[in-house]
Amino acid sequence: MHADVAAPDEVLLEPVFWSLFSVGGFITAFLLPVMLFLIFFAAPFHLWPGDPAAYATFLAHWKEPLVRLFFFVLIGGSLFHGTHRLKFMLMDAGFKGPAAEALLDLILNGVAIFGSLGALYYALRGWLF
Amino acid sequence: MTVHEYPARRRRGWWLRNPRYLAFQLREAGGVVCALYGLILLNMLIQLRDGESAYAAFLNLLRTPPVLYLNVVLFALVLWHALTWFMLIGKAQPIQFTRQPLPWKVVFGINVLLWIGVSGAVVYLIFGGM
Repeated sequence: MHADVAAPDEVLLEPVFWSLFSVGGFITAFLLPVMLFLIFFAAPFHLWPGDPAAYATFLAHWKEPLVRLFFFVLIGGSLFHGTHRLKFMLMDAGFKGPAAEALLDLILNGVAIFGSLGALYYALRGWLF
Repeated sequence: MTVHEYPARRRRGWWLRNPRYLAFQLREAGGVVCALYGLILLNMLIQLRDGESAYAAFLNLLRTPPVLYLNVVLFALVLWHALTWFMLIGKAQPIQFTRQPLPWKVVFGINVLLWIGVSGAVVYLIFGGM
């Protein structure tokens, strides 16, 4: 991107999405591996005393606001981080040009924004409304 | 003023020519996998809302052998992404508590220790311990 020829909205939005990507990198690096281990691998590979993902166990934890906040932050962070990476991987692969970039921004940022809003909805549902 | 762009040209399959480039591409792929897991976790919350049978079906699907082993491969990419993230923190933004910036390996070690601590905290605070 050339700062001298970029449209004002690009100058405004790019730092916002880059910041969310960067924060998402910290969130996914620190929180996602342990989460995936507990949900996907702990019980099937008999690496844990119980099943942390079992319905009754998880539902009991899900009542706590901290757990809901954790899932919202983790899902939002993962989405903003991963979609930003995917955009640049696709651009590297030849999906270039202003129109292609605008399309990628629309789809990928849309996934990140609506996915995060979805996570926020489920985090608040049954707690605040 | 006319602005000329000089796009960097790379040969096809450039990332297969050097182990470092391959490691970089795997790291990038790991980042994308993080978004995939974000969507899977969101789906988990949707199934939770839909009740016990929907949630159990979702969990059983994840635990069928093909999906489970695919998840192991994707999990390895997520781990590689996390480890390389800890490696780059000290390189991309040198941390200067001392007269000279801390060597990246020291910053990496501190981050790995922090990662272990945070993971332990998640086990106890989010999943109620072992």
